[in-house]
Amino acid sequence: MELTRHPELPQEYLDRLEAVQPKNLPPELDLFDEQTATRGRRLNKAAYSLKDAEQRELFARDEDAWMDQFGLTDEEKDLMRRRDWIGLWRNGMTIYVMVKLSGVTGTALPEIGKQMRESGGGHG
Amino acid sequence: MARVIGGIGASHAPSMEHIYDAGDEVRRSDEWEPLFGPFSEVAKWLEELQPDRLVVIYNDHMDEFFLNAYPTFALGVAETYPVADEGFGARPFPPLPGDAKLGWHVARSLVADEFDITICQELEVDHGVISPLPMVDFSEGDGGWKIPIVPLAVNVILHPLPSPLRCWKLGQALRRAILSYPEDLGVVVVGTGGLSHQLTGPQFGRVTPDWDQEFMRLLADDPERLTTYKYEDLIKLGGTESVEVVNWLAMRGSLPPDAKAVVQAYYAHRIMGYGLQTFAVDGR
Repeated sequence: MELTRHPELPQEYLDRLEAVQPKNLPPELDLFDEQTATRGRRLNKAAYSLKDAEQRELFARDEDAWMDQFGLTDEEKDLMRRRDWIGLWRNGMTIYVMVKLSGVTGTALPEIGKQMRESGGGHG
Repeated sequence: MARVIGGIGASHAPSMEHIYDAGDEVRRSDEWEPLFGPFSEVAKWLEELQPDRLVVIYNDHMDEFFLNAYPTFALGVAETYPVADEGFGARPFPPLPGDAKLGWHVARSLVADEFDITICQELEVDHGVISPLPMVDFSEGDGGWKIPIVPLAVNVILHPLPSPLRCWKLGQALRRAILSYPEDLGVVVVGTGGLSHQLTGPQFGRVTPDWDQEFMRLLADDPERLTTYKYEDLIKLGGTESVEVVNWLAMRGSLPPDAKAVVQAYYAHRIMGYGLQTFAVDGR
């Protein structure tokens, strides 16, 4: 985003503002920020719900009914059904809620990691 | 008046919980002794030091705070802190004892110092607190938790994050808060998280031991140099999720510059660089 260089704004402030957002990262070191958090709103809300034992029971009983609560898109539901961890990550799901899915799906974190590593490439 | 009598930097991770909960035999296995051995040393050091309170600077992992309202800095002012259910059922620990009175004082002092923290009368703590804490402050059986805590959570998850320099200054402000507290309490400040780990994307599992050891060296000898690092540096050096090390930097900011590193242990294993470092004040 091109910042406005208003005459009131000292360079020192503009430098500080510029420095807040990490830059020049390789795509495989993507951040959880405006873009990702915006993209991942539905998915993150869904996975976060699994903190609650009742939601975990619903997930186990009827995964589609569980998903329907969060207005997930068809693509998001598909990623979820396929346990496509890197796909979920690329669609904005943070690792901090993804681990809550690891319990209900019986997928240990190293397995999630294995799939992410083997997917190769950068940001989709 | 209260005093800062020591500091601890310690990794936090669900793996540490699994191994702790698996019992003594697993903890003392060849695989995990390099992690758990040094924690026993710290437990012993802490027993000699006898702190009255621990201020624990940590980060929550979407177990108390969520993206509907994610606080940059949040401070506990509760008398007890229950253990959060992180998605697998809560670990069977009793709630941690707190000190609401000290918490409120710290809140006022931080606000006086222009750190406008979120104030929490209720707070469930997750592995950011209770993966390292049982190793140094919990007796199985009737003993339970020994030292009341004041938790201070830092946003290291949702960018924009408070800068490393800001976290250092938070530690300095925390020091003033402790020194101005009228009760005669010895306080140890704990910072948890890191060291290197990458839990997302094709570089999942990347650990960088050289950087981790350099970080611990700088934290001991030249901590202000770490305040010049940007998040893009920290992410490239240690991984996206390794930025939790700013919790250590805040801890270090609460100590006098000449605090001496005592226990220094590091173990790179599987997907984590596990670090542990204690700081003594006034030669203790």
